[in-house]
Amino acid sequence: MEHSIVHDDLNEVLRELPTLSVEATSPRRLKVRVRADTLPALLGLLKGRSGYLHLSAISCIDWPDTEEFELVYHLWSYEVKKLVSVHTLIPKKPGRFVSVYDIHTPAAFFERDIHEMFGVYFEGSPNLEPFILTEWYGPPPMLKSFSSRQYVEETFKWQEYSPEWLKELEAKGGGIVQ
Amino acid sequence: MSHPVIPIQKSITDRSPDMDIACRSVDAEEKSLLRRVIDRIADHCRARSLFILHYCTGCGAIELPPTITSRFDSERLGIQPMVTPRQADILLITGYLSVKTLKRVILTYEQMQGPKYVVGMGSCSINGGMYWHSYATVKRLQEYMPVDIYIAGCMPRPEAIQQGFLQLMAKIDRGEGTAWKDYYHNYDTYLGNQQALFGPDWHTPTDVLAEARHYGLLSDNSIGQHTDLLAKFASEYVTQPIPAAATRVVRRSAS
Ligand code: SF4
Repeated sequence: MEHSIVHDDLNEVLRELPTLSVEATSPRRLKVRVRADTLPALLGLLKGRSGYLHLSAISCIDWPDTEEFELVYHLWSYEVKKLVSVHTLIPKKPGRFVSVYDIHTPAAFFERDIHEMFGVYFEGSPNLEPFILTEWYGPPPMLKSFSSRQYVEETFKWQEYSPEWLKELEAKGGGIVQ
Repeated sequence: MSHPVIPIQKSITDRSPDMDIACRSVDAEEKSLLRRVIDRIADHCRARSLFILHYCTGCGAIELPPTITSRFDSERLGIQPMVTPRQADILLITGYLSVKTLKRVILTYEQMQGPKYVVGMGSCSINGGMYWHSYATVKRLQEYMPVDIYIAGCMPRPEAIQQGFLQLMAKIDRGEGTAWKDYYHNYDTYLGNQQALFGPDWHTPTDVLAEARHYGLLSDNSIGQHTDLLAKFASEYVTQPIPAAATRVVRRSAS
């Protein structure tokens, strides 16, 4: 396939779906905002028409003010040689989204990770078992509502530290600033 | 001195008056002079031939190659890396310990043969270091296994590590490198701290209480409410019966 033809295809593909907003953040990077229900269609079109075969990551952002999760699908085409980041917003409740495992198999791993860290449930994902947090009984720890510091204070104790030099300082009214 | 290892009684009725000896370690005073001299010589020699288990956690691992190879050459001190826990003396915790890694570290530690020494290296093993507010890393290593010395720094340079090694050697030479015995003496506390992280069914394939009995290091604090859970969840690994809590209470009040 000729380079230019593929390139045209990308623009054509992006024009085909009505609800997109496309922004070129740099010469080789496109930021695409898409409605959640259009996302699988876009991924399928990009893969089939422009050679976007490589899903290199899915990232998740917890927006505490709007009660939404933002999912970002990072896609790379070895032919177009442009990175496309597809952004979509899903409501935090119930926090369910459709898996794109049938389009990109590596999605299974990313979705499992996001499920563990943010609690998003991906319908159709092959395996959402706990993965890294094997000794974890708390809420998904990457949520903004989870206070790591509070958890640490409740779970662990701190080393007692009172060396002689500190005692001397404290006797003179000094000490460690908290 | 080889002292008799008397098995813990299963019930109060068959309790013999001299069973107490299995429940405490032998005082230094009770050892014969010859035994003390031999111990002293053994400690002196032991301090000059130490093997570090080649197992690294956290970023401090980077400082180990220069420490043990030609640049700083810890072999001058008689300290070398060793690949298996069973043949190693020193367990070096080279940095932050995630809860997940701690599990493996405990398994490794229990496989090592006594006398064994734990060196906590880097601020992370002391107090969490720069991961102090991370939910995933443990803060104080000494809650989960007895630590002989800590080497502060983020990360400590090879000079500092060698200085730490020298202090550890001096400690062993003086006969004070006995932190490992504390694991047996206070096993219930250590196990309790481990269970707090890993859940009540946490256990390792090592029957620590049987080992404690074998070394003659079983004390009143070795057994408690946490070790009682072992009988429940780790029965396949418990080789000798763990006395029930009620028995111990009666025994303590009787003595
Ligand atoms: S003390 Fe510093 S160098 Fe060592 S593991 Fe922690 S952060 Fe890394």
